[in-house]
Amino acid sequence: MSKKIIALVLAVIVAAIGFVFVACNGNEGTETTTAAGESQTEAAKESDLEYVKSKGKLVVGITDFAPMDYKEKGSDEWIGFDADLAKAFAKELGVEVEFVEIVWDNRIIDLNGKNIDCVWNGMTLTEDVKAAMETSKAYCNNAQVVIIPADKADSIKTVEDCKDLAFAVEKGSAGMEMAEENKFNFTEVAAQSDALSEVASGTSDAAIIDSLMAAAMVGEGTGFSKLTTTDIKLNSEEYGVGFRKGSDLAAKLDEFFAKSLADGSMEKLAETYGVQAALIK
Amino acid sequence: MFDNFATQFPVVFDALNIGFLQTLKLFFVTLAGALPLGLIISFGSMSRFKPLSALVKTIVWIVRGSPLMIQIMIIYYFPGLILDNNIWGTGEQGRFIACSVAFIVNYACYFSEIYRGGIQGVPKGQQEAGQVLGMTKSEIFFRVTLLQMIKRIVPPMSNEIITLVKDTSLSRIIALQEIIWAGSAFLKSSRGISGEIWPLFFTAVYYLAFNGLLTVLFARLEKKLDYFKS
Repeated sequence: MSKKIIALVLAVIVAAIGFVFVACNGNEGTETTTAAGESQTEAAKESDLEYVKSKGKLVVGITDFAPMDYKEKGSDEWIGFDADLAKAFAKELGVEVEFVEIVWDNRIIDLNGKNIDCVWNGMTLTEDVKAAMETSKAYCNNAQVVIIPADKADSIKTVEDCKDLAFAVEKGSAGMEMAEENKFNFTEVAAQSDALSEVASGTSDAAIIDSLMAAAMVGEGTGFSKLTTTDIKLNSEEYGVGFRKGSDLAAKLDEFFAKSLADGSMEKLAETYGVQAALIK
Repeated sequence: MFDNFATQFPVVFDALNIGFLQTLKLFFVTLAGALPLGLIISFGSMSRFKPLSALVKTIVWIVRGSPLMIQIMIIYYFPGLILDNNIWGTGEQGRFIACSVAFIVNYACYFSEIYRGGIQGVPKGQQEAGQVLGMTKSEIFFRVTLLQMIKRIVPPMSNEIITLVKDTSLSRIIALQEIIWAGSAFLKSSRGISGEIWPLFFTAVYYLAFNGLLTVLFARLEKKLDYFKS
C-alpha cells in the first residue's frame, strides 16, 4: 500500500520536472516560429511605454564597449555616451534604469523575451537590425575602418593593398559585411575585440572594426598600442537604439533626442566622451 | 604583455573575485538542489511500477543526452519567447535563477545514476537480513543501505562534482557574470584595461585551487568511511 503511494508521489514530482523538458523537446521545431510571431504581435498590442512605466524600470541591454557603455577603473557604475543618454531618457520617462550585460548574439531574443527593453550599445543600423527591431533615428555616425600593426602602416594605404591580407572580423558585424563586399580573405571571430587580439598576436594580418571603438581602443596609450588605425574607411554608417518590434518607445526616444539636441545637452555629453565629431545633429 | 601587471593586478583580482563568488554561488546552490533531487530520481528509475521507471529513464536520457548549454538556453528563453511570460525576471538575478534550475535538473540526473549504482551495489543479502530482523523498508534503507551506498559513491561523485565546478562556466551563454565572463571582459576593455588575455588565463588558478580543496575534502571523507570495508 505505502509503496504505491510513494510511487504515485514520485510520479507526480517527476512528471512536473519532466514536463518542461518533454514539452521543450517535443514542440520546438514546428511551433517556435508561429508562437514567437504571435507573442511579438501581442507585445505590440499593449503599449511598450505603458509596460515600462508600470514596472518602473527601463532595462538596457549593453556590452562593455568604450566609449559608449563602460565602467571606469575602481567604479561599479556604467558610464559612457550611450549609458548617460539612457539614464537621461529613463529620467524623462520617470523610471529607474537598469543596465544588463548581454551576449550580443542573443540581443533579439533577449528583447522579445522581455529580458531587456532596449539594445543601446553603439548598434549599427543595418537592414537586418531594422527588420528585427523597432529602431530610433540615427544619433551617431560611424565607419568601418581597417586596423593593422603599426609597423606595417607604410605599406598598407589603400583598399587594393588589403587584398592579400588575412582579416579577422566579428561574426555578423558590419565589418564582416564590408569584408564580404570587398572580397577580402577573412576569418569570423566572436567579438570586435577578439579581432584586435588576433592582429595583436599575429594570427591575422588585419581587422575591421567600428571607428568609434577604434578611437578608444587602438593606438598609443591603449591596450592595443602596437596597432594602428588606417585611413581606409570602407563605408559610413549610423548608430541607433533598438526596441521590441512595434514598440512605441522608439518614437518617444526620437522626441527625447530632438529635445536634447535643441537644448545642447546631448552635444555636451558627446564632448565628455570625445564623440562630438560623430554626433548627428 | 606584463608591462602593467602590477597596476592591473588589483583591478583584475577584484573583478575576478566578484565573478568567482557568482561561480561558487551557482556551484553550492546546484549541489544543494541536485543531491536530494538525484536521490528521488534514482528511486523513480528503480521503481517496480513500470510506467514510472520508464518515464524517469526517458527524462534522464533526454537530460544526459543533450548539451547542458542548450538546456540553459531553453530554460531561460522558452518562457519569455514562446509562452510570452518571462517567469525569470530581468537582470542578473533572473539569469541566476534560470541557470540554477538548469544545473540542478541536469546534475540531479547524473547523480541519480550514481546513486542507483551505489544502492544496487549493496548485496541483497543485507536487505534480506534486515527483513528477517523485522526492520521496515525505510529502516533498512536508512540504517543499512544508505551509509554503505555513500561510501561506494564517493569516488564517482567527486568526479562529477569537480566537473560541476568547471561546468558553471557554461552559464555565460546567457550572460551570467561568473569568473570566465569576468576574465574575458579584459580581452575587450573593462575598467580601463583593454586587450589583456592574462586575466582569462588566470581564472584557471581559481578553479585549480578550489578543486584542490575539494579533492582533499573527498579524500578525507573516503578515509572516514573506511570502516565499511566489506
